[in-house]
Amino acid sequence: MSDNRFSASLIVAVLLVLLFAIVPLILGWLGRSYLYQVANIAMIFALLAASLHLVTGVAGLLHLGHAAFYGIGAYTAALLATEAGWPFLATLPTAGIAAAFFAVLVALPTMRLVSIYFAVATLAIGQMIYLVLLNWVEVTKGPNGILLFGGLEIFGYDLSAPHLAYFVVAMVTAVSIWIIHRLSHSYYGNALRSLREDDQCADALGIDTVRLKIEAFTLSAFFAGIAGGLWAHTTGYISPPDFNFATSILILAMVVVGGLGSLPGALVGALLLILLPEALRVIGDIRNITVGIVMFLAILLLPKGIIGEVSALDLVRRQLAGAWKRVDGQGIGWR
Amino acid sequence: MDYWLQQLTIGLSLGMIYALMAIGFTLIFGVLNVVNFAHGEVYTIGAFVGLLVITAFAPPLIAVVVLVMAAGAFVGFGLERIAFKPFRRFTDEASLKSRAMRESTLMSSLAFSIVAREGLEIAYGSQYQTVPLDYLINQPVDLFGVTIVVGDIIIFALAVVMLVGLQFLLTRTRVGLSIRAVSNNPLGAKYVGINTDRTIITTFAIGSMMGAAAGLLVGLYYGAIFPSMGFIPGIKAFVAMVMGGLSSIPGAVICAIILGLSESLATAFVPSVWADMVAYGFLILTLVFFPQGLFGTGRERV
Repeated sequence: MSDNRFSASLIVAVLLVLLFAIVPLILGWLGRSYLYQVANIAMIFALLAASLHLVTGVAGLLHLGHAAFYGIGAYTAALLATEAGWPFLATLPTAGIAAAFFAVLVALPTMRLVSIYFAVATLAIGQMIYLVLLNWVEVTKGPNGILLFGGLEIFGYDLSAPHLAYFVVAMVTAVSIWIIHRLSHSYYGNALRSLREDDQCADALGIDTVRLKIEAFTLSAFFAGIAGGLWAHTTGYISPPDFNFATSILILAMVVVGGLGSLPGALVGALLLILLPEALRVIGDIRNITVGIVMFLAILLLPKGIIGEVSALDLVRRQLAGAWKRVDGQGIGWR
Repeated sequence: MDYWLQQLTIGLSLGMIYALMAIGFTLIFGVLNVVNFAHGEVYTIGAFVGLLVITAFAPPLIAVVVLVMAAGAFVGFGLERIAFKPFRRFTDEASLKSRAMRESTLMSSLAFSIVAREGLEIAYGSQYQTVPLDYLINQPVDLFGVTIVVGDIIIFALAVVMLVGLQFLLTRTRVGLSIRAVSNNPLGAKYVGINTDRTIITTFAIGSMMGAAAGLLVGLYYGAIFPSMGFIPGIKAFVAMVMGGLSSIPGAVICAIILGLSESLATAFVPSVWADMVAYGFLILTLVFFPQGLFGTGRERV
């Protein structure tokens, strides 16, 4: 048992060292702020993919408007920072809360829908929010976008230098993904999985499916909002096209390619779909077509994704066999 | 008064365009029970093929329409082979109705649409293509004292011809009979000896034919042909289909016309950039209040 615990914490430790020491060292050695920017984008999209994983992967609801909530977060953070002069530490959680608030608002009437109807409703909601961002010029500045100066400042320390911003993004991303991991690998996550497998059956078992859907949708929007806040503060410029349907599809493709229902899969998918087009940049701007081709091949050849739910669950179960095992009188569960 | 009549004709031709696209959606949803997300790209490809034909040969308009429809049928065939056929390996009833199967074709058609759109964008750039002036169908004509555009008449006439043709095909021919049989019950159709595979391909060809024609007509009407032109009409046609009750062709046509009319009338009250809101609003309202559609026959859980 202690062996398994040990190796699980070993994996986490290796990942953390990679995230907080090795990657920054390599980036520092290469010394190009452009690469820091790519790393930040990769981490932000990893967070977005992880948040969509909660809805599409775990709860099995096809969500085609995720970028809109990311956009709400970004615009909230940017507007609060530029118009009201709020500090980063205040805008970031507010961005998440604003996105979650709008998510509850749109979720209340639409979350009774299932499968394709749900997908289309989220598509329409995403497009409506996008239209508002684009055309409500008095507030959102419309197509001109918003410029942020002095993006990252915590307790008076200016952290907007590329290598410092990297650590801020890495910190927020790591904590958020940890929370999403705990959520999706718990009884709560299992309840969400029951929605994916058969929501009528889950309903019959006494699970409040509508409420669970609203909660999952809201949580995912919260983390998308956080990602939006990070994006606004690290890039310093946001405009509506960053949050259009293509972005929603990009995030969805990450989750699908990585493996629906698997958090490591979503992260791998995000890294793949951000870093692959960057690596292929020498050939030309082919990001979107790469996304399409990779997504198509993944659905055709790897229907379970790179790291599918089943294999990932097996991995987790093997690694954490001690925690998973039956505790006397308490049934099967985590600790 | 003139202004309203003009808006009305514009709305009517817009609605006819949505109707042509919505029929493609409805037919395909009927036979396969899946949504074809690449339908908007068929529309775009139709417009681009028309442009190619016009710049290369400059034939009369009716020949362009026929050629574009042929190209649309071919695209529909290719689309079915690439994005839908590989996911029909399992033909038992359980997997025909399974959600996972539906969602995988949803995403494969989405992927197909991304590749098609981005391919066009790489080949032609994302800006508007120039359409030869002779082919633009926006000359004003005076009809009973109301000034409308000749394109309105052409679109209306062609759409009516196609709708009547489709009705004839579906109700009076063997092909139509097999399409109706497959959409009624795929397994049963198979048992009575209908070649379901061929029927599905035919359906895709017919639906894409109409979608491609719609794309061409809109391209010539507005003089705006660009790679992402199919996205918004695709969504609106989808809205019309959902409002019409998913499997009802007359319902989809009526709702498409309602949608076109309300959109063009809405521009009288709000800036035209907000007109798209109407369609999305209609969709949400329909899904929430009439989940079976306005003309649907309650047949499954929404």
